[in-house]
Amino acid sequence: MTETALQQTTARPKDAPWLSLKYREMLEAWLFISPTLIGFLIFFLGPLVAVVYYSMTEWNLLTQQATFVGLDNFHDALFVNPDFWHVVRNSVIFALGLVPLNMALALTLALALSRPFFGVVFFRTVFFAPVITSAIAWAIVWKFLLQGEAGAVNQMLAWIGIDGPNWLREPNWAMAAVIVTRVIKMVGLNMILYIAALQAIPRDYEEAARLEGASRWQIFRMIIWPLLAPTTLVIMVITTIGSFKVFDHIYQMTGGGPENGTLVLAYYIYQQGFEFFDVGYASALAMIMFIIVMVLTVVQVTVRRRGMQ
Amino acid sequence: MKAARTYLTASALAIGLMSTSALAEELRFTVWSGNEAHLKMLNGIAESFKATHPDVTVKFETIPAADYTQKLTFQIAGGNPPDLGWMMEDAAPTFEKAGVLMDIGPSVKAAEGYDFGDLSQAAMGLWQDGEKVYGIPFSTSPFMIYYNKAMFDEAGLDDPLALAAKGEWNMDKFQEVANKLTEANPGKWGFEFKDGEGYASRVMHALMPPIRAYGGDAWANGECGFDKPEAVAAVTQLHDMVFKDKSIVPPGEQGDYFSGNSAMTINQISRASKMPEAGFEWGIAPLPAGPGGESPVIGQAAIVVFDQGKQKDLAAEFVAHMTNKENVATMAQFFPPARKSVLESDAFINSNKLIPADQMKNLGAAIAAGKVLPSHEKSPQILAAMAPRIDGLWKADANVEESLKAVCAAIQPLL
Repeated sequence: MTETALQQTTARPKDAPWLSLKYREMLEAWLFISPTLIGFLIFFLGPLVAVVYYSMTEWNLLTQQATFVGLDNFHDALFVNPDFWHVVRNSVIFALGLVPLNMALALTLALALSRPFFGVVFFRTVFFAPVITSAIAWAIVWKFLLQGEAGAVNQMLAWIGIDGPNWLREPNWAMAAVIVTRVIKMVGLNMILYIAALQAIPRDYEEAARLEGASRWQIFRMIIWPLLAPTTLVIMVITTIGSFKVFDHIYQMTGGGPENGTLVLAYYIYQQGFEFFDVGYASALAMIMFIIVMVLTVVQVTVRRRGMQ
Repeated sequence: MKAARTYLTASALAIGLMSTSALAEELRFTVWSGNEAHLKMLNGIAESFKATHPDVTVKFETIPAADYTQKLTFQIAGGNPPDLGWMMEDAAPTFEKAGVLMDIGPSVKAAEGYDFGDLSQAAMGLWQDGEKVYGIPFSTSPFMIYYNKAMFDEAGLDDPLALAAKGEWNMDKFQEVANKLTEANPGKWGFEFKDGEGYASRVMHALMPPIRAYGGDAWANGECGFDKPEAVAAVTQLHDMVFKDKSIVPPGEQGDYFSGNSAMTINQISRASKMPEAGFEWGIAPLPAGPGGESPVIGQAAIVVFDQGKQKDLAAEFVAHMTNKENVATMAQFFPPARKSVLESDAFINSNKLIPADQMKNLGAAIAAGKVLPSHEKSPQILAAMAPRIDGLWKADANVEESLKAVCAAIQPLL
């Protein structure tokens, strides 16, 4: 092939697009995802990276003075400040109370409401409605209902001869009260997830088991429960994460009290950052919370996968 | 030719508009009141500023009181501070120490006709550091006892105003009448702490009046005072009223005074605006005296200028205008003044349509003799450290002295 012929074959035709099809498709793809990508970078990844840096500073929001202190904030939280472990303990108690209760109730409701019957939509709506109710309004109403002697809950208990406690003024009862009211608020979401999973299980399995003489409990234990495992894992992970992030409920109902009995990690971070304006320390706490939630999630997924194998 | 003329006209108009906007200035002023009457009065004062500054407008921006200090901090941290704003007494030391407030002393003192010496020095204490002036108080409002006169009359008791006139209004009498009113009104209480929040966000408003009446204080010269005998005696009396007499609305219950569920409460005169809706006869009286004598407690707020503001000199001029004698007299209908001349005037005594002159005189006396609520540059941390120990105090079986010692142990390192 002569040199001229070679130039003719490699030269781009005049009316040809300036990008090859492969690169054009790639560019289009990037353009399509760019709105989300830009939002992700600015509003998610950027702050996440910034928090890592802030956590290594002593930064007062009001004075705007930031000093790099390395890992001092983490050291203070983990080894110096006694409040931190008290707060972690409260968060763990909250999660241990909320997650099993929420899941058990959600599954029970889903089993009751997964099959069609007259009024099923009404009941599903009733149990789901709190999920879309304002969290602050929900907390205010419960705070009112859970008053000491004059509260509606205690007055109802009095009818059956029970002298109810001053729910939100005694540390243990306050924790129980915020857990239960939070479960009632959020259980509808998990119920819907379980209903979707139950409706996806082919009816043939259950019918075959019934023909084999399996009892209802055996059908649930040996067929339905194992088939719900992937959904259970998802629910467990999101409910655990949600329980560690709980803030609005605590803020409105107890403000972390009484006697710091409901002071959980997310509220403690808020207090350090937005009441004391100690952004560096609050960022370090947020990083620790991030690591705790990540470790818990990995452990849950690993344990569940091993169980399924 | 026609096109050229049109172009020239448009350019001239644009330049004119630009020069107008360059001359016109707007001051952003943050407040925590959304009350229409308050804002109307403030806008009136801003309008009168045009007499000397025709191109200056003032925009009042309401931020709810509960979030006020926090949102103000975010605006400053975000590099977008208001030009000037209201500031509560408990936030003042923190903001002063952080260096975000302008020294407005030179500006206000230089303002024509401004009588700086007329401002009560006691009221200025929190806002001055030597020669530097960081704010001018616009509200120096003492806490008063609001009472439901109808409940007192029905129980056949002298009301607090009558008792004060006879010199019998003291802490013992306060406990006695609260007890009798509770007995006479089953399901209701003798007394409710400020806004029903005395066990939470208003803990200082609950504790300070009796502690000061007994001659104590929260802290002084870096030393905690909650565990001193005066404070222990005062809080023991309150504790007895809550749990033994059951005459104060207890923790976890709601006994709103304004709905007629408590016979007395403690509040400032700004709450008088709620009384016409309450539907019962009422009055205000001084705080009960104690072994330490009469010790009025004052809540205070001032107007400050933010040092980062782009128009801080102009903002300082507006502060001088807003706190001159004439405007302070106008504001006195809602906000008790720090100016002695206004405080002593008949105009002030008759300024509030809801409160009779004899009760306003008590208010004036309380301002003159009162002491502002305690404040500290670490107020948020101190209150957070106090909270769990105070929760422990408000239990029927609590040991008051031990609980107050625990409060001091928690806050002493912060003082």
